[in-house]
Amino acid sequence: MSALLEVAHLSKTFVSGGGLFRAAKSARVVTDVSFSLQRGDVFALVGESGSGKTTIGRMLLRLIEPDAGHITFDGIDVRSLPPVELRRLRRRVQIIFQDPFGSLDPRVRIGAAIAEPIRLHQLRPANQIADRVAELLTLVGLDASYANRFPHEFSGGQRQRVAIARALAVEPDLIVCDEPVSALDLSIQAQVVNLLGELRATLGVSYVFISHDMAVVRHLATHVGVLYAGRLVESGPSETIFADPRHPYTRMLLAATPSPVPGAMRSRETITGEPPSPYAEWAQCRFASRCEHRIDACLAADPPLAAVAPAPRLSACIRAAELPDFAAFDDGESRMTAAYRLRLDLLRRARLPKVSHV
Amino acid sequence: MQHRHLPDLSPDADGLAPQAAALDVKDLRVSFGAGPAIVDGVDITLQRGRILCLVGESGSGKSLTALSLMRLLPPSAQLACTRFDLLGEDIAGAGEDALNAIRGNRMAMVFQEPMTALNPVMTVGDQVTEALVVHQGLSKQAARAAALDMFRRVQIPAPETRLKAYPHQLSGGMRQRVMIAMALMCRPAILIADEPTTALDVTIQSQILRLIDQLRAELGTAVLFITHNLAVVAEIADEIAVMYAGRIVERASRADLFGDPQHPYTLALFAAMPRADERGRPLAAIEGQVPSPGAMPAGCRFAPRCPFVVAHCETTYPPLREISRDHWIACWRAPLEEHVS
Repeated sequence: MSALLEVAHLSKTFVSGGGLFRAAKSARVVTDVSFSLQRGDVFALVGESGSGKTTIGRMLLRLIEPDAGHITFDGIDVRSLPPVELRRLRRRVQIIFQDPFGSLDPRVRIGAAIAEPIRLHQLRPANQIADRVAELLTLVGLDASYANRFPHEFSGGQRQRVAIARALAVEPDLIVCDEPVSALDLSIQAQVVNLLGELRATLGVSYVFISHDMAVVRHLATHVGVLYAGRLVESGPSETIFADPRHPYTRMLLAATPSPVPGAMRSRETITGEPPSPYAEWAQCRFASRCEHRIDACLAADPPLAAVAPAPRLSACIRAAELPDFAAFDDGESRMTAAYRLRLDLLRRARLPKVSHV
Repeated sequence: MQHRHLPDLSPDADGLAPQAAALDVKDLRVSFGAGPAIVDGVDITLQRGRILCLVGESGSGKSLTALSLMRLLPPSAQLACTRFDLLGEDIAGAGEDALNAIRGNRMAMVFQEPMTALNPVMTVGDQVTEALVVHQGLSKQAARAAALDMFRRVQIPAPETRLKAYPHQLSGGMRQRVMIAMALMCRPAILIADEPTTALDVTIQSQILRLIDQLRAELGTAVLFITHNLAVVAEIADEIAVMYAGRIVERASRADLFGDPQHPYTLALFAAMPRADERGRPLAAIEGQVPSPGAMPAGCRFAPRCPFVVAHCETTYPPLREISRDHWIACWRAPLEEHVS
């Protein structure tokens, strides 16, 4: 099966400043990033601020032009598309952002906002557009009558649903989700995560899911790419990455992830430092300054991604195979107290739809 | 001897009875105009060197509670309470001058987005030393030495250089460290931190949490830590208060809240978080929304979203009652296993 999305050696450098008396500075925000995504899969790009994950997301739609590399979407060479064809591509690849308020025009009723791409791409005859908008609103769990409302009348979670409805309006194959739940309250976050999962199951839509939240990524992703300072440092199937991470940075991210089950807590003494400046030049492992497993050899060269069992996992750590066993990030029910488990179970049962026995 | 010019806030040092709470506020109510109370009968007691976490979703009134404690409410708000004691001293009726002497000096606050709380055209060094010059009459030089010491305490690398930096030259995590340093400059008895890590990466969040934990032990500061994410405070909280629609619905030690959670809302918050064994299954989202202030339910405010609701819940608000030692809960149906079949 050929991949829905194939990204090879993608790179981007932003040049800033520069003038009569000042040399321009170049920030290498993405360096040689490759990954692929099969139809129906969820590829998560995780990393801290400045790791390049948002830039990669935008390059996939050519909202930012890459400097080098290839992007192949369903056999189409995305980088060489002329503007007309690019518009057609954007019908098939959509993006939703962290702040749904920023991506909705405050003066446009949301029904009109959702109808616009349908009209633009001539996906429905004019007399069927209103029905389609109602259908989309229902699909994302909103009342069809909300079409007449303005964005400010919605809560954060509802706005994100509107943004998702608008992305779905063009019946895309792939949605790039850029931190879609980070700005939401926990309870609302769960609703949106569930919605994304349902849409994948029912419509077969694939996601590139950009996030810094490992717990959400574990929940949704089928594949994970961990970015550090613009480079992938580990990638592979989600189960592999979470059960046995083989890059110290992946381990740091996992250790820093808050858990609702305190028994699952691990030592956080080793979580130190900040991501490096994008202006840095690299002749050593980028993560070395924060790494508890650093040895002299780490300072000799920037290690490339290499296979570390089980296939198809890659890690850019020269000590990947010899890292100590990783106590899996287990915050399952077995770690809870009996009372916690009992009441959670009561809650779960109380929420089941009531069945009437006659 | 490096802190000789600073007041010592370790317990007992100021001659107060050691048992006097750092802050003791009872039956706090905040309302706007003739509207209903947005914060409705909240008790907050902060003990020296201990961390109380206030947890709730947007609209629960947690930030408004924080602003009331700092007495930073907008003029349109009315604040009422039956007690407002700072270090054993009644400041309920304190005027603006007295409050100005307290804020930044005895009580300090850290916000979610340090960039908007810092002055962009002043170096962070000047901003950090300002409080010492204003509140404690220190010379600029002495204040600078104290700032340097505080920057080291909050683990800012290259502190001499960073003192001369402007806020935009620092990373988000560094700016939050500066905010914390600034808040702690006068060794306040109380630090109120309103979602201080929400805008930060998890790795930086973890470091800031550890820092707050260390500093409260070192300086004896009482901390009120506000967050929407229960999991974030699992490591550092001594006590946790869960707030819903302007009221506290459960309050317990960390061990009790995570080991013996009682209120359906607390349980719902736990259940909504993705866990290892939930992978691929739908998360237990809490349907519905926090009620708006104009449309508060007559009885229990969580009743419209509660799967355990019975008729009594909809008519009568459950008072906070002590279900086991120091574990308070406002629910008619607790303990659930005795009431739910």
